[in-house]
Amino acid sequence: MTTEAVFEHDASVIGVEVHLGTFEITPERVAGYLRATGETNPLYTDEAAAQAGPHGGLVVPPGILQTISMAGAPNAKVKFGNFAMHSGQRMEVVAPIRVGDVISVAADVKEVYPKTGRSGTMVFEVRRNTFRNQHGEVVAISEMSMVHRQAGGG
Amino acid sequence: MSDTRYFEDVEPGDEFSERWIPTRETVVGYLTVGNAEAGNTASRFTSDEEAQKIGMQRAIVPGAFSLCMATRVVTDWMGPTGRLHSIDVDFRRPVLHDDALNILALVTDTLEDGGRPIVKLDVYLENERGERPVQGTAIVELPTRG
Repeated sequence: MTTEAVFEHDASVIGVEVHLGTFEITPERVAGYLRATGETNPLYTDEAAAQAGPHGGLVVPPGILQTISMAGAPNAKVKFGNFAMHSGQRMEVVAPIRVGDVISVAADVKEVYPKTGRSGTMVFEVRRNTFRNQHGEVVAISEMSMVHRQAGGG
Repeated sequence: MSDTRYFEDVEPGDEFSERWIPTRETVVGYLTVGNAEAGNTASRFTSDEEAQKIGMQRAIVPGAFSLCMATRVVTDWMGPTGRLHSIDVDFRRPVLHDDALNILALVTDTLEDGGRPIVKLDVYLENERGERPVQGTAIVELPTRG
């Protein structure tokens, strides 16, 4: 027998994609990203070396997609515990991103589920972002997990 | 500059690491690349005062930035002919500004998956207090000598 955690959330947003807008991959943004992260991989910085790579030319680090605002993304409005935090981040890289691409972002709530461990019950909300280029091709999928729990042993 | 790394030269147990000290300057630089924090000049990611309001010792590093740095270490290692398929991390505790971090990766498996030469890795960030605030896994594809 299992004990179901009692929590409230808005299940109507699960799996419903919301278009958040577009983001242009400009040379300035790429330069800023390379500077902040200290990227030196020739895939991103050396045209000649990148030509010999798997993408036949320069590409952009997929992490740049993590800098895009997710304002307006759906939220399952989980009501559980007194504390919420960003508990995980996942990125699946599907296709190369290049300077000049215009990336559109679609966001949805993938799932909401409870989990009980040694520290008690937690409720996870997984928010998913799908990034497509101007050709409609999916270039990456990112998932962000939020955990809701009762802090302080309550 | 990274060199080509071949699948045949990689074995489970191989380890590599890079040092990283996230300063306020680099965090602000990261946040201003896109529009994630547009107009927000005083947040828990940039201000000690704001971070202390939510119980942190000092300003914290955005989780996504830690993911990007773990990604960089993996892509540096795989070189220009490798291909990153995925990276997946859990945040166990906050990464603070000015923490002296080691970003480490460990090869855990090498396999042929549908004809593709795949390498699986554990990745984690370790701070000077011996904690591992960020832990996860990555999957990359490397070229073969054949």
